[in-house]
Amino acid sequence: MSAAVSHYSKGFWQLTWRRLAMDRVGVVSLIIVLMFFMIILFSAFGLIASDWNHEVAINDAPPDLWGILTDKHTSVIQPSSNNTLSEISEPLPELSVVDPLAEDIAKLRTPIDFSSHIIDPLADTLRDIGYSQYVSTDPTTIEKRTSLPFGGDRWGRDVLKKTIKGTQTSLFVGLTAALLATFLGTLFGAFAGYYGSYIDDTLNWIYSVFNAIPYLLLVLAIAAVLQKRGIATVVLILGLTGWTGVFRLIRAEYMKHRAREYVMAARAFGVSSLRIMFIHILPNVSHIVLVEISILTVAFIKSEVILSFLGFGVAVDDVSWGSMLNDAQSELILGHWWELVAAGGAMALLVTAFSLFTDAIRDALDPKAQGAGA
Amino acid sequence: MIIYIIRRLLQIIPIMLGVVLLLFFLFNWVGGDPAYILAGKFSNEEQIANIRHQLGIDRPAYVQIGIFLEQIVTGDFGNSWSTGERVSEIILSRLGPSLTILLPLLFIETLLAITLALAVARIRGSLTDRMIMIFCTIGMSISILVYIIVFQYLFAYRLGWFPVQGWGNSLRENLFTYAMLPILISLMVGLAPNLRLFRSFMLDEISQDYVRTARAKGLSEKRILWIHVLRNASIPIITYIMAALPGLLVGAFLIERFFSIPGIGREVILAVERSDFPVIKAITVYVAIATIFANLLADLIYKAVDPRVELK
Amino acid sequence: MLRLTHYLLNRAVSRFCVLCIGSVLSMFMPTSAVHADNGEPKVLRVAFPTAETGFDPARVHDMYSSTINESIFERLLTYDYLARPARLTPMVAESLPKISDDGKTYTFRIKRGIYFSDDSAFSTPRELVAEDFAYSFKRMLDPRLRSPWAFMIEGKIAGLDALVEKAKRNGKFDYDTPIDGLYVVDRYTLRITLNAPDYNFNYIVAHTPFSAVAREVVEHYGEDIMAHPVGTGPYRLKQWIRGARIVLEKRTDYRGMVWDFQSNDKNDDPLIREMEGKRLPLIDRVEIFIIEEAQSSWLAFERNELDYVGIGVFRDKVFEHDGSLKAVWQKQNVRLVQAIDPEITYTFFNFRDPMIGGFSKEKLALRRAIIMAYDRQEEIRVIRKDQAIQANMPIPAGVVGHDPRYRPLNRYDPALANKLLDAFGYRKDKNGWRTLPDGSPLTLKLATGTTAIDRQFNELWKKAMDKIAVHIEFNPGKFADHIKATKACQLQMWGTAWIADYPDGDNFMQLLYGPNTGQSNNGCYESSAFDALYEKANRLPDSPERNHLFLEMTRQMEVDGAWVLGVSRKSNVLVRPWVLGYKRHPILNAPWLYLDIDLTLKQ
Repeated sequence: MSAAVSHYSKGFWQLTWRRLAMDRVGVVSLIIVLMFFMIILFSAFGLIASDWNHEVAINDAPPDLWGILTDKHTSVIQPSSNNTLSEISEPLPELSVVDPLAEDIAKLRTPIDFSSHIIDPLADTLRDIGYSQYVSTDPTTIEKRTSLPFGGDRWGRDVLKKTIKGTQTSLFVGLTAALLATFLGTLFGAFAGYYGSYIDDTLNWIYSVFNAIPYLLLVLAIAAVLQKRGIATVVLILGLTGWTGVFRLIRAEYMKHRAREYVMAARAFGVSSLRIMFIHILPNVSHIVLVEISILTVAFIKSEVILSFLGFGVAVDDVSWGSMLNDAQSELILGHWWELVAAGGAMALLVTAFSLFTDAIRDALDPKAQGAGA
Repeated sequence: MIIYIIRRLLQIIPIMLGVVLLLFFLFNWVGGDPAYILAGKFSNEEQIANIRHQLGIDRPAYVQIGIFLEQIVTGDFGNSWSTGERVSEIILSRLGPSLTILLPLLFIETLLAITLALAVARIRGSLTDRMIMIFCTIGMSISILVYIIVFQYLFAYRLGWFPVQGWGNSLRENLFTYAMLPILISLMVGLAPNLRLFRSFMLDEISQDYVRTARAKGLSEKRILWIHVLRNASIPIITYIMAALPGLLVGAFLIERFFSIPGIGREVILAVERSDFPVIKAITVYVAIATIFANLLADLIYKAVDPRVELK
Repeated sequence: MLRLTHYLLNRAVSRFCVLCIGSVLSMFMPTSAVHADNGEPKVLRVAFPTAETGFDPARVHDMYSSTINESIFERLLTYDYLARPARLTPMVAESLPKISDDGKTYTFRIKRGIYFSDDSAFSTPRELVAEDFAYSFKRMLDPRLRSPWAFMIEGKIAGLDALVEKAKRNGKFDYDTPIDGLYVVDRYTLRITLNAPDYNFNYIVAHTPFSAVAREVVEHYGEDIMAHPVGTGPYRLKQWIRGARIVLEKRTDYRGMVWDFQSNDKNDDPLIREMEGKRLPLIDRVEIFIIEEAQSSWLAFERNELDYVGIGVFRDKVFEHDGSLKAVWQKQNVRLVQAIDPEITYTFFNFRDPMIGGFSKEKLALRRAIIMAYDRQEEIRVIRKDQAIQANMPIPAGVVGHDPRYRPLNRYDPALANKLLDAFGYRKDKNGWRTLPDGSPLTLKLATGTTAIDRQFNELWKKAMDKIAVHIEFNPGKFADHIKATKACQLQMWGTAWIADYPDGDNFMQLLYGPNTGQSNNGCYESSAFDALYEKANRLPDSPERNHLFLEMTRQMEVDGAWVLGVSRKSNVLVRPWVLGYKRHPILNAPWLYLDIDLTLKQ
């Protein structure tokens, strides 16, 4: 039934596809976007970058693309020294430097004989499992690389793998949040536009209220309500604050369509309102929804960075472009540019491709406005 | 017309009511309790109760909302909870620096975007046009955080063209010393999307009948673009800028933090951090009112410039 | 919401972050009334990493506002600039107080001829008198003022608490009725009587919140007092752009003093040569900038827009790999001044928490295993970029009671931690996470802030707990929310910090004293053994016996696994060569009274 009353025939989508295929920029960007999707699929199924969290290199390992070929840049690292004595008895630099510890260090040469009256309830157990107050029970050494193709982060994790994992998170966040926002916007917009009257007034009121509050405050406030941190929270924050634009567009479309003949006809047949709204009208505004999803995806991928800056990014055991950029924030001055470049570059590439693809789709959907993409 | 304005003005009341309720719910009910910050590092229950009493947050919610509404009507939001300063003074002192960045930015950005948009609209569809659009897209794809970090490092630190950060006393000093780099960065971030948008406005106009008529009359392409197209495209442009203005005021917090500019955006973050509710309330209310009025004004300009627009 | 953990306590101790002084931007300076001899004013530029809140000494709780107050207002006593460990000296008092034999009565004589700076609240020049201190001390307990420092004298001064009770009943604090505890003997003599002997009382009167304010000023400005500091100190507030810039100007009518400090540290000799015999204060104007982003302040220093800077996380910009100062700094004659701040960071366990609290052996083992799994050396190396040293006692270096020879009981040793957990039946479930001995799930919840630094700490904690297969979740939130839950003993674990109010071990050990639960004892740690030791130490003046008690207390809290002790931060400050006399003081935060600027070196 829907096809029969639908404004556009199947041929509409075929035509669109043919127009898209002729757009060279559109095709190239589509390929890039698809490649990113491949990466996140592989990464989501654990085929690549699942071990991004491993500290394979020394801290802040520099990038060395040739390291791939000559895989011999490893160094042996003792587990971090845990003896306070050795840590602070190292001589401080001379020069005009004042050493406030000189006296303390002299004292440290002779540990005190501290006979305590404190009873340790665990003393027996500890003796049994080989505890000594001065010698670590764990003498193993670890091998670490001194460089990585794309460099390492402050813990020595591979920046390339982090970027791949970050791609997965950021793209997932962007897409899901865009779907959520579009869903909300379409749902509200459809009801408001189709029913009009007090339903429209109410929804329009909610829209105006959301629109009137500064975006930053809205984000901070919703973040405060959603106590937990994680991908779901980021999606919710973005989705709940981002639906207003879609609402306005869809509402206007539904207002237009509700007076159209095919809607009148369906209503005369006694088709239920919900069915008309979502089976009959929705396919005819789906191209707008599609374009909105892809615009919002791009916007939300960028917003995730800001959310991370504000401290509402993904959880610690996840990595996103936002968390990487914020990690790398103060590292540029130290000369550690690779994480900033990797995350910023990957993001620029995907977002550019995605935006150009969006333009291409829009042009293909609406040939009259050729090249008018905004 | 007057009836329309009155109707729109009356609509402010339910919207503001919604803003008040939402804000109160979000910040007062689930947000942090400022008493624990004010009590310092060694606090006990009695002290907390005492502070809560003095701030008035131990009163029933409806009383607090009532006070909030009264504050909106009188425009007096009292004193900041964390510094004891008058809220109105805080906002006034923050507005200056924000506007010092915002107004020149808006002026330069709009001027540049319109000029460039007209230029590319004239050569629409050409290779140059497409290349410019692609470059715009790339420019828009880089995170603002990256722009700030890299530009501050490069232009202020490495090349020393601008001070790294700071804010002075005189408008002259601020505008020509401290505001330059922040404005440049904002321009980098904002120009590309504006150019794309304005170009689409221009193209919308170019495909209108009156342009064809003008061409038929033998008017020069330059004249058509600069006079006719620009005049008509200026409506959506003005509307767009008006609607964006209040949001920009708060939205520059990243720039303000990195360049230590005492603007509104930084204040919002500080206030939320300190649970300084009077400041949050005041800024939200003022921005909300500004947003509503900007929208109204934009609609009226629409009407004034183009009588065909139907106001409802 | 940003920088929440830096806020207040944590913020108050984060002075390692950024503290910089800068050069003159003479181009843009409005000409000042006060000039050095050759006409050019000596201007010092300092940056704070967080915004100030205001300038009422009794009311502000953050370190940066307090730093400003330190140079605007004056106290009865202060600290010697060079003596280490910090030593009290008279400020507006003629000498250290006369203390009665029972240790309860302190008599202070105030110097004559000290005047408040001019203000519209005064009709004539206003001299500082004993009554001002009586008033200022009473003010600390005025319920309407809600001073965060009230705890320091609450219950201590005879008759004062009765006044507070009265104020709570009728809503108005009675400043006019004299009380025994704060007795004004004559115009310049104040006799303070305590309820019980307190060997730390001199430290309290040297604390910035206990500065003298004038009653006329307080009453004149009312609610607006935070913006109108009027004191007897060397500087006055010239300009205040909230959250952006604070300008202090030297008072021309300040009584002044001669730079005359001794040091037993040979390294101070050049500094003494530079400064000895000079008439203070020498800095004409101090400009303080609020620079929140570390990148911004560091770049500002490098661009010579600031004169000194705490190196913070930018260690690699300062030191070569062998630990020597980089050539670029040596070439510019920039000096590095190092000190260790009298502070500790720690992560507390909530002893009332059903999951990890309590004193049973298996809970002890759990907490101590957690402590052993947390790698503080990595925290120091990676997150703090070597700008800290491991804290082994709750009492940091430079504070009475600290003993550098003390060896921690719970050293980093994840292998041992695993064995300990195995020994007490914390078996692993099918997902590989350890369960409680009774088989129920074990999940730690660590409260955290929302900044990039907080994230790094969480990453470290996650790694540490993965090593012993203990599942950990993070509970990010606003500082105010965390502190609220903490005071109600509802937060399981949280990392926080404490900076010395005065250089005595008591100031730190009270954080673990049972009766302070709900106030400053964040872990709600109530150990009768510890409390007995604490009370014993409290009855003793500074002595080897008391120091030994501090060691015992430390061992006790280690045995109980009360805290994951963190670090004491180093303050590494790079100073431009023309700033003379700079030395980091453990308690005082505003050094400019003691500094000079060599304008010829600056060109």
